[in-house]
Amino acid sequence: MKWLWVFSAAQAVMWGQSAREAVRQGEQIFAKSCATGYCHGARGGPGGAPRLAGRGFTQPFIAATVARGVSGTAMPSFAGTLSRSDLAAVVAYVSTLNGIANPAVAANVGGAESNAGPALSANAAKGRQLFSDAVRGFGRCSTCHEVNGLGISVATPIAEIPANAQALRSLATPHVLTSIIGGEQMPSLPVSSTNRGVVFYDLTSSPPVLRTADQGSVTSKEGSPWSHSSAIGSYNDAELDAILEYLRAASVP
Amino acid sequence: MRIILTFLVLPACWAQSGAADGATRADWPHYGGTQLSWRYTALDQVNTANVKNLSPAWIFQTGDYSEGLQATPIVVDGVMYIITARAQVFALNAATGAVLWHYRYPPVRPPGIGGIAENQESRGVAVGNGMVFFGTADNYMVALDQKTGREVWKVSVDDTKQCGCSIAAAPLVVKDKVVVGGNGGDQAHRGYLTAFNSKTGRLAWRWYVVPAPGEKGNETWKGDSWRYGGGAPWMTGSYDSSLNLIYWGTGNAASDFYDADRVPSPDKSKDTNLYTASVVALDADTGKLRWHYQEVPDDVWDFDSAYEVLLMDRQVRGRMRQILVHMNKSGLTFVLDRATGEFLGVFSTPEVRNWITGVTEDGKLVGRNEPKPGKTDTFCPSAAGAKSWNSMAYSPRTGFIYTPINELCAALNPTTEGPQEGRGFMNSSMDFKLPPGRTTYSHLDAWDPVTGKRAWSYPYKYILLASVLATAGDLVFTGDPEGNFIAFNAKTGAKAWSYQTGAGHRGSSMSYAVNGRQFIATPVGWQALLVGGLGASLFGDLNPRIGSTIIAFALPEGSK
Repeated sequence: MKWLWVFSAAQAVMWGQSAREAVRQGEQIFAKSCATGYCHGARGGPGGAPRLAGRGFTQPFIAATVARGVSGTAMPSFAGTLSRSDLAAVVAYVSTLNGIANPAVAANVGGAESNAGPALSANAAKGRQLFSDAVRGFGRCSTCHEVNGLGISVATPIAEIPANAQALRSLATPHVLTSIIGGEQMPSLPVSSTNRGVVFYDLTSSPPVLRTADQGSVTSKEGSPWSHSSAIGSYNDAELDAILEYLRAASVP
Repeated sequence: MRIILTFLVLPACWAQSGAADGATRADWPHYGGTQLSWRYTALDQVNTANVKNLSPAWIFQTGDYSEGLQATPIVVDGVMYIITARAQVFALNAATGAVLWHYRYPPVRPPGIGGIAENQESRGVAVGNGMVFFGTADNYMVALDQKTGREVWKVSVDDTKQCGCSIAAAPLVVKDKVVVGGNGGDQAHRGYLTAFNSKTGRLAWRWYVVPAPGEKGNETWKGDSWRYGGGAPWMTGSYDSSLNLIYWGTGNAASDFYDADRVPSPDKSKDTNLYTASVVALDADTGKLRWHYQEVPDDVWDFDSAYEVLLMDRQVRGRMRQILVHMNKSGLTFVLDRATGEFLGVFSTPEVRNWITGVTEDGKLVGRNEPKPGKTDTFCPSAAGAKSWNSMAYSPRTGFIYTPINELCAALNPTTEGPQEGRGFMNSSMDFKLPPGRTTYSHLDAWDPVTGKRAWSYPYKYILLASVLATAGDLVFTGDPEGNFIAFNAKTGAKAWSYQTGAGHRGSSMSYAVNGRQFIATPVGWQALLVGGLGASLFGDLNPRIGSTIIAFALPEGSK
């Protein structure tokens, strides 16, 4: 229902200089974010995605579609990726493509508001980049941890943040067990055990593998030679300290 | 006398024992038929004389009508394995269509970051080592038990929320490993192939298409552009067991249509932005690069080379060669020695072309007509491809490859913005256009890959986006967006049979046998988005219907 903001929260609906500005802004956003690649054609013409110009769309329909996306198709929700003012501007622009000469536009469209979170220190910002650094492949933190919507949640959410790189390297991992399946021992992180099978992460190598085995085919025991330090070997101490600074900043509500 | 006849009718390679045999028989075990990717069956029960009697033996509706059905069915020991757009996997009795098991992958929430990668589609499973493997829209590799459909392992190949990437291609099982590519080369992303141990799901190797600093080939990238250089190998490769090499086509460089930030040298006669828009040969055990051939140095047209690689043995200029045949989106079709990567020949397949004026005898592009930032120009063929990702077929009986070719153009207006990791990084819109002065906009062609000559061509008024199947009954099958599933005479191109299946064709037909009865099976169901979406947007009188159906055709039981 986020799109409702565009109308209900727009007490000062107007059409004038700022509205024309919004449509112009929307045209630019449309060219960059919508009329790109295999998606919509320029100025709402036909592309890989459907034509948008001259379709008789109403403004509420356009606003809802832009904000929510279309389930089961390549049309994503832009509610999280465009700022509110950009969303409203692009809705206004697509409205003009559908014969709506004077689309309703909130008064503050064109402002500098964005969806960016609280500012990070330079070191924490570096830590955020390092946390999910694609160049490190499966040697990055986000291979096993999800923070602020990035990463794969193999491990449970990070509850306590170690004080420094040394503490991070020597982190105790009591949840990691040793499992034996078909005579092979492996470090494992249990997920569930039901009559449908035993589900666990095999931590032998990175990335961890979610495996399902028959009840009775797996035995597990406490303790494992696996250590957190072996999983974070791609980082030096300064990099780990930056990551910790990011995690501390990210944990502030 | 018989030997002479063989020489007359068949290409010479067939007379030589030990020639690579890419024909399927009762089973259709791999995406491309066999790992040589011919999409050719040695079964000839259905042939030019009796194809008129071909009728549906069974029909299976998957129930997943979110998009079309793009997959190639796999058949092993009388069981068909098929995957739908939302990654529902079915095992069917291949003689009757009865469901043996059904697996549903949990619903995937698109990351909402724009670009094509979040589109849910699947082009097939791989079957081997007792398991059924597939990749997902949220970038997991999954292994199911072949007998029960129960999940055995699942591993995250990459974080789709960050990379904007996904997997639609069928994996390739090679010995004890399963190898998979991925989408994402139109996003700010660095493409790769990943191999997993098929039994445990553990990582075996990863090969990055774009080399990192310190690795050979990185010098063909400007500054840090290699980080988001694209090249995603988004379709399925081939494997030659005697050379122990896997072959894969790689995707376009990113950004697609603007190269000033990624090209270090103005000399585009040399390899540029390696190893994008190339065919690569990798050691199957280690993933190490053995050789590469770049087809489009500095690809600024999104003519990525990610398509299928056909492996065959043929006489070339009087000498028997182990060759590969590979077409990229431009329609340029390269013939290379697959042991060494040596260039042997190239021919251009589309009739409308303005992106180059020609190709030299040693394979260099001539007269490059490049998109320019701030300027709108029309380029032919379009990035939708002279051929889309759907596969061609090869018949060793005729020596021809069979491929659909689309005659489309697109206006590009390149922009210059830089990358944002995982976000769309094409840097232009594409306004698709029909080339003027024509009444037909595609054709199904037969080409001799060695001579580069077109043997026959069947023109069609819309576009053709289904794969091709060739058979030893001298038939070639494909489907059209109007719903017709059509058989052609492989030698002459004469239409031999057709059947209205009720929805458009965007998948890959195949053939198999159960208890001696040959079946020709086709997925039915158009792709509503992306390249398939052009069907409705370019042709006002075409309404290609989505769907998700398998129709298995056979001759009536008891007939000959």
